[in-house]
Amino acid sequence: MSAESIAPVPRILTKEDLEQFQASETYNVLLEFILDLREAATGHPNSYECSISNTTLGVLSLLDSIEEIINRHPPVENAQSRFGNPAFRDFYDDVENQLGSHLLDSKIKNIPHLSAVDLQTYILHSFGNRTRIDYGSGHELNFICFLLCLYRLDLVQKEDFSALVLKVFNRYIALMRILQSTYWLEPAGSHGVWGLDDYHFLPFLFGAAQLSKHKYLRPRSIHDDDVLEMYAKDYMYLGAIAFINSAKTASLRWSSPMLDDISGVKQWSKVSEGMVKMYKTEVLGKVPIMQHFLFGRILPIDELPSEKADAVHGVEATEHEGHIHGEGIWGDCCGIKVPSSIAASQMVHEGQLRSVPAGAVRPIPFD
Amino acid sequence: MDADVTMTDAGLSTLSPVSHTLSPPSGEIKASPVTDSQSYDDLDRWIEMLMDCKQLSENDVKKLCDKAREILSEESNVQNVKCPVTVCGDIHGQFHDLMELFKIGGPNPDTNYLFMGDYVDRGYYSVETVTLLVAMKIRHPNRLTILRGNHESRQITQVYGFYDECLRKYGNPNVWKYFTDLFDYLPLTALIENTIFCLHGGLSPSIDSLDNIRALDRIQEVPHEGPMCDLLWSDPDDRCGWGISPRGAGYTFGQDISEAFNHKNGLNLVARAHQLVMEGYNWSQDQQVVTIFSAPNYCYRCGNQAAIMEIDEDLKYTFLQFDPCPRAGEPSVSRRTPDYFLVSF
Repeated sequence: MSAESIAPVPRILTKEDLEQFQASETYNVLLEFILDLREAATGHPNSYECSISNTTLGVLSLLDSIEEIINRHPPVENAQSRFGNPAFRDFYDDVENQLGSHLLDSKIKNIPHLSAVDLQTYILHSFGNRTRIDYGSGHELNFICFLLCLYRLDLVQKEDFSALVLKVFNRYIALMRILQSTYWLEPAGSHGVWGLDDYHFLPFLFGAAQLSKHKYLRPRSIHDDDVLEMYAKDYMYLGAIAFINSAKTASLRWSSPMLDDISGVKQWSKVSEGMVKMYKTEVLGKVPIMQHFLFGRILPIDELPSEKADAVHGVEATEHEGHIHGEGIWGDCCGIKVPSSIAASQMVHEGQLRSVPAGAVRPIPFD
Repeated sequence: MDADVTMTDAGLSTLSPVSHTLSPPSGEIKASPVTDSQSYDDLDRWIEMLMDCKQLSENDVKKLCDKAREILSEESNVQNVKCPVTVCGDIHGQFHDLMELFKIGGPNPDTNYLFMGDYVDRGYYSVETVTLLVAMKIRHPNRLTILRGNHESRQITQVYGFYDECLRKYGNPNVWKYFTDLFDYLPLTALIENTIFCLHGGLSPSIDSLDNIRALDRIQEVPHEGPMCDLLWSDPDDRCGWGISPRGAGYTFGQDISEAFNHKNGLNLVARAHQLVMEGYNWSQDQQVVTIFSAPNYCYRCGNQAAIMEIDEDLKYTFLQFDPCPRAGEPSVSRRTPDYFLVSF
């Protein structure tokens, strides 16, 4: 495995790992980036005329290409009657292949050679999980990491931030809604009715900032169908509410008591501040989400407590079905031999796989 | 249905100080000490409230969980169940759909029920749903069996909603603690007339026989790995053999595995829940395994039907499918601004 092909990998396994991450430079850079994007969206509708650089245009064009890839992989008859449609995996593999063969280079100029793999990894993982056919706020965060990498690589500048939220992120959300409804992506780690939303967080965080200077729209306006019809296109928060109303069969008060509760807040600026606090705790502060956060060259982290030589490691199956990825210090998988599922089961019988001692650190499972 | 395991009086008295002197209701075999007549009055009153979707007071939930623990601690890891019985899958706090289920399947105790776990998380009424099922369990312990699902766990309920819901409905996590402490006592599996094996998730590479399961010490939080974890987390798969589960816990198992397990243990069928299936039930692995999911239109979004499996006196199966109960009006819970959005937070 050559040095330049190291893709970002998940590293956080424990609360202690997460705490170290939260005290790290990468965490500060990430949070500041999100806050800067929010600031750049404050008071502006999606239609706001802002400067659009060539890189921004390139990313928009990239997202258009992804939508074309969706169209090439219509959902298949799902005989197993499972919820997520397996055609998502064909879509995902197609995206992965095209990213591997210059889709990024063709859209975004001047990507440093060594950094292409970071960009490819973050964008690919921003469309959901191939194996589980699901999507959640952790995948959404990968898209932010993709944008942050562009910024760290000097491919976009601060002047581009308004466009990154209002045009690019908004386009990404629209694309995700197509993916979610085409392949019936399952909500990853959903809190059900007790979460903010099945899939997303940031349209509410950026969206509340967009509305925070609005003359007459108030948080309670989300219950007004006429307001939604008129403004859903221009404000991400209202667009997200309109999407929930269209996707759910029960009223917002039943399906989304959290959003209903928030609608009782008097001012959008308070909602906007609350969203930041909530995001820090409920997304950036949760091991089940952050255990999938990908660290690489551009977003690095020092050795984590669970990676110290005397810590015991568990194993996790990742998106490459049948592979077992050791979540160790090196985190490289595809350069080393990994057993198939069947081989793994034989190892279980021979006591090899289960040789992980009881109490070993393992990622929190999904449901 | 007799409990497989009999605990000594001494053993019981260390579990709970509640007295247990009264005779069981007529016609039922006494599986465990229950309660006195005052407690039956309490129970009936509680059940009536809960059927109206009204939550119990924090203190009553504590009493309820104490009583339930006595009963559940006497049950086996492989709880024997007699037919006729109606087998149900995931409920996930969809209280009104549970009412619909009882309408379709008949009220308990007239109909015997076996629930295969996942009462809580994601739905609006996990608190009311699990409280009701536990109250019904105490009222008619021989006519209702409640198994443990992977969501009946401290760790999972903190991620998937039940913790949030308890906090919101009671203002503190005590009720969450009472229930999650109780969940440790739920039996892991059930065996209907020695032929139908019921559990939440699926099989485990560490388990060859039902006796392996009987030997487990189940009174603990669901572990991250090992046989007890697998029973609650595994899924059947098209591929043969054991596979790594994409869930990160449990395994996938092929038809060869379920055939061998059923053959070795003299079983006709593994009935399990744990996966959303669009028709509410789904045969797999050449009818060695059936999946049953009893939460219709899961999360108000999935558009799936729900189903329950009636097993009659001759062990014949009938699946009853049902659609979501139409949701009238608005929730009675009043709006409460989440802490994040309060100035002082």
